[in-house]
Amino acid sequence: MYRQKYLFLLPGLLVLVAIILFPLLFTIRVSFSSWDVYNPGLNWIGGENYGRLWEDARYWQALGRLTLLSVTTVLIQYVLGFALALMVWRDLAARRLFRVLFLIPMMTTPVVMSVLWRTIFHESLGPLNPILESLGIGAAPWLSSAGWAFAAVVMVEVWQWTPFMFLLLLAGLLSLPNEPYLAAKIDGAGPVRTFFSVTFPMLGAISVGAILIRLIEASKIMETVYVLTSGGPGTSTETSSYYIYIRGMRDFQIGYSAALSLTYLIIMIVALTVIAKLLVRALVKDAA
Amino acid sequence: MLKITDLELLVGSVAHLAAINASFQPGTLTTILGRTGAGKTTLMRAIAGLIAPDRGQILLDGTGWTRLPPWKRPVAMVTQQFINYPHLNVRDNVAFPLVRAGVAKADAAARAEAALARVGLAAMVDRRPSALSGGQQQRVAIARALVKKAPVLLLDEPFVNLDYNLREAFRKDLVDLLAVETGTVVLYASTDPREALQMGDQIVLLADGRIVQSGSPRDVFANPASLTAASVVNDPPINPIPFHQNGVADFGALGQQAITLPSGAYTLGLRASDIRAGGPHQARVTLTEVTGSETLTHLSLNGLDLVMQEKSVVLRSPGDVVGVHLDLHKGLVFGADGQRAGV
Repeated sequence: MYRQKYLFLLPGLLVLVAIILFPLLFTIRVSFSSWDVYNPGLNWIGGENYGRLWEDARYWQALGRLTLLSVTTVLIQYVLGFALALMVWRDLAARRLFRVLFLIPMMTTPVVMSVLWRTIFHESLGPLNPILESLGIGAAPWLSSAGWAFAAVVMVEVWQWTPFMFLLLLAGLLSLPNEPYLAAKIDGAGPVRTFFSVTFPMLGAISVGAILIRLIEASKIMETVYVLTSGGPGTSTETSSYYIYIRGMRDFQIGYSAALSLTYLIIMIVALTVIAKLLVRALVKDAA
Repeated sequence: MLKITDLELLVGSVAHLAAINASFQPGTLTTILGRTGAGKTTLMRAIAGLIAPDRGQILLDGTGWTRLPPWKRPVAMVTQQFINYPHLNVRDNVAFPLVRAGVAKADAAARAEAALARVGLAAMVDRRPSALSGGQQQRVAIARALVKKAPVLLLDEPFVNLDYNLREAFRKDLVDLLAVETGTVVLYASTDPREALQMGDQIVLLADGRIVQSGSPRDVFANPASLTAASVVNDPPINPIPFHQNGVADFGALGQQAITLPSGAYTLGLRASDIRAGGPHQARVTLTEVTGSETLTHLSLNGLDLVMQEKSVVLRSPGDVVGVHLDLHKGLVFGADGQRAGV
């Protein structure tokens, strides 16, 4: 009778095996094959795909680019999100309206939003360059120059996902107790010092959670790059997931893209684990 | 010297503080005594800068701070709630005001540990406030207030949320701790007259946002200037017994008393301890409260609601009839305007 309780775990276990374990194991197996458009099938070629990716400079460049893009966008999103959350946290007229307005970018579909931004960035037809010119700043080659295209991807990512940071940090701010703020006032801490000594450390755990969620999401960036720049000009905005997509879905090198995917997954797990530990140590006092 | 002049604070049309004028000397502990809602906390918060008064001035040694933000005022404060920083350990909690004042971290930590030793928490410096009991958390708050060495220390009913035994013990400890703070103006808000009589060098009675009397605790207790002051400074509150003076004081069914006063209507304030069981007047018991070794019996006598205080535990039930004696000659006489008469 007592052992029958394990039967209740079976449906969940079956779903887990079906949607996580099987695809993962299958991908591992595929990564040791030369499955491509000419030879579809699970032949065994050993670690050949892994050897190939080790020497694939384009893959590692994409990974480096992804790292830069993720760190840059998440950092900017965190700072902006925190600033906006602080702005509408307390004494601001119509703060409820602002709280909703700030969330709008996050509610748009990434592909639709990327198409809109591609139109905005369009160098001859888009509205951004005329505005910059009217301000005397001058037009920029937004999507045709490597540096500007990277900046454009960063801007769109920041625009769309800052609200996510804002939402989590605002929820954290609203859950903070008032008492430490009263104590800080009496203990001689002005608004700036109170932020760094009370607000920021008390939001440490939420900050770590928000940054990690965004890093995980940012490391999977695909739609924005696909629609906005298609990885270009050249490969200047190509990220890991987009490169894997090219190898797998465009070149149909399924075996090789499986090896790329698995390597990417392992790197991400290791990197995010290390980052999580570092962030917890730096931002969460309880970890000391 | 801390001086407050014409302090006034209105919320809507209701005066939470009105015409507050007082001065407090360094090295003295002044108890601000008043019932709940009298304006004690509002006064403390106004001094600390946590709320802005509508008019009036707060001056320390002649320097006005009414417009200074709270973090720039040389004030330390302990509130009713156990207020600490949940993300800091006990040592860092106490060191916080020192670090903010620019004291080096190592020095601040050493001074914080010394302050914690004074309040009996030397062994708990590395714990978080959440790992402490309510009493210990309040000791942390007291240590944090003391370590700041501010010229003004505000204690807003710091022990009100502690149990009776702890409150008694802390009160004595606090008096010992404050004995060495000779250059500090200490204001201690309380609703408990016994606490005020036990602790304060000076007492200020507050009612409806106004100071109704101030002076030495013994003097204020013995000679309350008004029925309101008498009510605030007595616990249980003084029993108001109306009488008519026409040659003698006529208390109706309670008898007459020889008092020299002009003719007119008066009120006799009779302390609960001046009513005794075992007298000729038959009173009906409406409620009995046993507090420690005392019994407070609420009585109904000839339409008057009275409270009798006995230094023993006497259990009576509502509806019981008890014979009582009223020591009317010990009462305090107040005129129709509520002010003391016949003094």
